[in-house]
Amino acid sequence: MPKAAPARWLAVLLLLLTLAAGAAQAGAVVETEHVRAELISEAAAVRPGQTFWVALRFDIRPGWHTYWKNPGDSGEAPRIRWRLPEGFRAGEVHWPPPQRLPLGPLMNFGYAGEAWLLVPMTAPGRIEAGTVELAAAATWLVCKEECIPEQGEFALTLPVTADEAAATSWAEAFAEVRRRLPQTLDGAMLAPLDADTLRLELGPALRQVALREAWFFPDAYGLVEHAAPQLLSSGEGGPVLQLRRGELRGAPPDRLTGVLVVTEDLPDGPMATAFSIDAPAAGPAAGGIGLAAALLLALAGGFLLNLMPCVFPVLSLKALHLVEQSRAGTRAVRLGGLAFTAGVLLAFLAIALALLALRASGEAIGWGFQLQSPAFVLALAWLTFALGLWLSGVWSFGEGLMGLGQGLAEQRGALGAFFTGVLAVVVATPCTAPFMGAALGYALTQPAAYALGVFLALGLGLALPWLLLALFPTLRRVLPRPGAWMERFKQLLAFPMYATSAWLVWVLSQQSDARGLAYALAGLLTLALALWLWQASRAAAPAWRRLGGAIGLAALGLLAGLLLALPDGRVAGGAPPAGPAEAYSAARLAELRAAGRPVLINFTAAWCITCQVNERVALSTQRVGEAMRTAGVAYLKADWTRRDPAITRLLEAHRRSGVPMYLLYPAGGGEPELLPSVLTEDLVLARLAGAVAARAADATVPGQP
Amino acid sequence: MQNRVIHLSRRALMLSALAMMGAGLYLQPGAARAQAQVGQPAPAFSGVDSRGKTHRLGDYRGRIVVLEWTNHDCPYVRKHYGSGNMQQLQRQAAAEGAVWLSVISSAPGKQGHVTGRQADELSRERGATPHAVILDENGAIGRLYQAKTTPHLYVIDGRGSLAYMGGIDDRPSADPADSAGARNHVAAALAELKAGKPVSQPMTRPYGCSVKY
Repeated sequence: MPKAAPARWLAVLLLLLTLAAGAAQAGAVVETEHVRAELISEAAAVRPGQTFWVALRFDIRPGWHTYWKNPGDSGEAPRIRWRLPEGFRAGEVHWPPPQRLPLGPLMNFGYAGEAWLLVPMTAPGRIEAGTVELAAAATWLVCKEECIPEQGEFALTLPVTADEAAATSWAEAFAEVRRRLPQTLDGAMLAPLDADTLRLELGPALRQVALREAWFFPDAYGLVEHAAPQLLSSGEGGPVLQLRRGELRGAPPDRLTGVLVVTEDLPDGPMATAFSIDAPAAGPAAGGIGLAAALLLALAGGFLLNLMPCVFPVLSLKALHLVEQSRAGTRAVRLGGLAFTAGVLLAFLAIALALLALRASGEAIGWGFQLQSPAFVLALAWLTFALGLWLSGVWSFGEGLMGLGQGLAEQRGALGAFFTGVLAVVVATPCTAPFMGAALGYALTQPAAYALGVFLALGLGLALPWLLLALFPTLRRVLPRPGAWMERFKQLLAFPMYATSAWLVWVLSQQSDARGLAYALAGLLTLALALWLWQASRAAAPAWRRLGGAIGLAALGLLAGLLLALPDGRVAGGAPPAGPAEAYSAARLAELRAAGRPVLINFTAAWCITCQVNERVALSTQRVGEAMRTAGVAYLKADWTRRDPAITRLLEAHRRSGVPMYLLYPAGGGEPELLPSVLTEDLVLARLAGAVAARAADATVPGQP
Repeated sequence: MQNRVIHLSRRALMLSALAMMGAGLYLQPGAARAQAQVGQPAPAFSGVDSRGKTHRLGDYRGRIVVLEWTNHDCPYVRKHYGSGNMQQLQRQAAAEGAVWLSVISSAPGKQGHVTGRQADELSRERGATPHAVILDENGAIGRLYQAKTTPHLYVIDGRGSLAYMGGIDDRPSADPADSAGARNHVAAALAELKAGKPVSQPMTRPYGCSVKY
């Protein structure tokens, strides 16, 4: 072998150096004066179809820092532009909780020492090549006092494996960073305090925690002044952070999203935990246009309630009464109208007060809560059945008092009208829940006086048509003339009442067991027999009358006994939902979301008619079922038939106070979409297609922060 | 017991309210915060320019005034001066009769701090044509306007009320290549004011380096 000339060695050396430099350029590490950045993977190899974690990791020179997704008052978030092999899909950047970086009067959010930009990477189901190269061009700003924009090209080559991929030496660090990622905190609410201040109510989950410190990092610019002090205090519903509003003034924001970092005092020292917060606004401060608009809406809503199926029969009675009364004096009619209105308002007031009192004592309940009690449902079933029997003419009340003078008859009419009002409200509740859920949910987050105002406006709306008819005789001309048709009509109305009763018994069967059902049916039988006996005894001799009264009392006693003995329906877990739906749980949702699957959650209750109708016509149909299967949509059912604080909180997080509610989480991540309360098959199919499209779009556009 | 709890929490509330007021006073010298807010009268100021001349905001009543916070060493400022973007905007403003005041709030010894002569030299070198460069060494005007970044721009209309505050455009990066197709918020605000229309985007996110107070 001839000796090579030194010049030739030099040339070879230069070539090698150039090659090495070239390799470094396309390598996984970029070193600048201020950072050492590296593209790393948790798994040592890529397995087809698998989602694995990669990260752009920065070692930052002491004194310098890089930025969070919201950099604060100045600065810029890093950006990654991926160049991936075909079929690979990069998810959104998962940002570890940032640090506060105060700078004179300014505040920045970012990372000192070390920064991780975590990205879930999904491999396609088939990979032909033996190795794949994940390439990225990244830009980032690194600042001390002065700022330097930097950039780098990264390439990470990984082998492809058919087996479970081995972990790299980074795996432990990945797990640690993931552990520190913000967790979802449900139940946070935003309430504007005044023109300058926002109140971020952190919710009951943090109530029991000894918080030493808390800081809220807003996701976006302008809503919160980054540098202003944040005052932590404790409120009724948990800790409260007061935030100074940022430059974007004007209408208060309708939601606030960001990351909350709390420092907790633990026996072995303070511990910081990060939560991601999505706080909907609880509504504007009481007073002003917000209140006026809410009252008007409630009034209109109450008016519409007159047409709901549960209210209609009761109010038809009212109509009949009015037709009958139009023969009587104007005074009697007016009195009746006012008494009816008073009955409606008092009943609404009583329910609202009970609801507020229970909530104040910490119960997680919402509107329609009455129907979550099996005893209430049973009593209502009996009541509607008794009313049905009355309409059918099986029994009657009051005839014996006829002829005792006009004055008393008027009073009796007024009393009757009052209780008709109460009755209308009581049977209206199952309809108000789905119909007014959003409005009432909003009202319940307001101060008590405000909420009561909204409830009363709702009641006034319900009573309004009847009140107007009673007060203005000219309006009554539209009513048909009284006649024999009224008796037939009354008998016809018995059937909606029986139907309501039958439906309530079915609801009860969902809440209770077979014994509860037996009690309910025994009660119905007792009721029918007792009312018939009582009526029959009325026309008989005094001794028989007394016997009839005694039987009536005995029957009432028996019914009360049955109510008390009613098995408590809170069977753990409840009945498994029928069909393809799985029972909702927060853990199951988190699991499905982590897997990137689209999820449809159906918030429902057996006593909610709208929910049942929606399920029949829109959710349980064959076409929708097929669409869900092809789109890989997971279908969860959150059953609120019985009380469930976890579901109540989730409803409240979306500013609802009752069912139905439908949430559709898109594929691959992102905010859920709230579907309308009244569903059609076409609407559901369109939205499902949208959720699939979100996934398809994700697959073609590489994720970018 | 119940009473005691309520009593304590009320006291805690009052104490914390006091503490917050104290913090507010401490952080905002001059307590009454004449904050720069769009739609409100722009805070009055007076400042000395690179040639020793004093400028008061009130001097320019009836004319549109543009305030530009700047720091010639900041990469985001260099992006807009290097591409000629800022100079072009200054010419547009002058053509529309507006007064352009560049403000340097860098403290002595910090990045971007310059003497009057250096400031004029920078304008000559870069072909910049501001009406004046105001040297705000103690940061008083910057704090008054809560200027956060360089660049950070404010437009004040002829009646003296603040019509625009925020970034120069909607491309928050230091890369000149990103400027293509950007919406220049200041140019748009000037054009809208000239046409007698309300400014369609009166507040945007300012971006850039922090002001070196």
